[in-house]
Amino acid sequence: MRRTASMLLSHAGASAGRRGIPQALADVLVCPLSKKPLRYCEATGSLVSDAVGVSFPIEDGIPSLVPKDGKLLEDDSEKSEQEPITRDSSR
Amino acid sequence: MSTISAAISISAAAAVVSRPAGRRRHRGRATFHCSTSAAGERQALFSRIAPVYDHLNDVLSLGQHRTWKRICVSWSRAKMGDRVLDLCCGSGDLAFLLSQKVGLYGEVMAVDFSRQQLHTAAYRQEQRWKLCYKNIKWIEGDALYLPFTDCYFDAVTVGYGLRNVVDKSRAMQEIFRVLKPGSRASILDFNKSSSLFTASLQSWAIDNVVVPLASGYGLTEEYKYLKSSISQYLTGEELEKLAKEAGFSVAKHYELGGGLMGNLVATR
Repeated sequence: MRRTASMLLSHAGASAGRRGIPQALADVLVCPLSKKPLRYCEATGSLVSDAVGVSFPIEDGIPSLVPKDGKLLEDDSEKSEQEPITRDSSR
Repeated sequence: MSTISAAISISAAAAVVSRPAGRRRHRGRATFHCSTSAAGERQALFSRIAPVYDHLNDVLSLGQHRTWKRICVSWSRAKMGDRVLDLCCGSGDLAFLLSQKVGLYGEVMAVDFSRQQLHTAAYRQEQRWKLCYKNIKWIEGDALYLPFTDCYFDAVTVGYGLRNVVDKSRAMQEIFRVLKPGSRASILDFNKSSSLFTASLQSWAIDNVVVPLASGYGLTEEYKYLKSSISQYLTGEELEKLAKEAGFSVAKHYELGGGLMGNLVATR
């Protein structure tokens, strides 16, 4: 049963794709500075705070949301007209 | 308790080192540089000890740190299906315990300032495979700037972390902010004892047992830090006051391990 569960989870992880986990992170995390929603930028593989114009890297699946590690948005590929996804934090 | 067994117990307790997780907001250039530098040095310190951190915790505490951490989690009142935060998670001990408490339909956010510690935690997650561990998300973050909305968590735990945060008041405010009303923060750390006997024994054990043992791993200076960090920490009463100033309605500090450890329980 353990092997089956492991296989199922691996398959689920694979099928979620590279976008799945970072998008899930963008859904639950907010900008540490503005507390506004983040969006996942596929081009750079980072979490972007449009509110303060900063992107935060994701390395080895671990997002770095330490303010000093944020990068100011300079590259047009990181900027987007897309509105940040509104999220309901209550349960 | 005999002197020898007391010393071993204290050294065991004293060996559990915590993680840095924040820095002070600058009030002036000199202060900013000082606090940033202090936080950076602590981050580097805990990154250096990451490879042997868990092993030394076990050796020096004779495994007792596991009991204290179970108590911390229990007192957080985290339960099945909850969404919880483990702040200053380090290599993940509390996060793994919380993971089992909240189950596959719960969520554990584990935040730390040290990427090396987080890598260790992620590796352990893979090695100690349990289905529920899928509910843990490791996040490199700053305890003073938590990347979560207000009133987000059903419980927050901090294990041997608050003592290393440069701005404890600010960290407590952030913990308060992200907790749902009526929920608890459970904060475990060394106890800065008011008892001269306990404080002296603690100091003796660090000097004569912990540091010599750590030196065998080339980490003399890193574990010497432990003594100064305890002396600069807050007493139980001061921690209760800090929590109430941050807005918590109830705050109570409990001593553990014969007074060597302490756990603050604060309710929003």
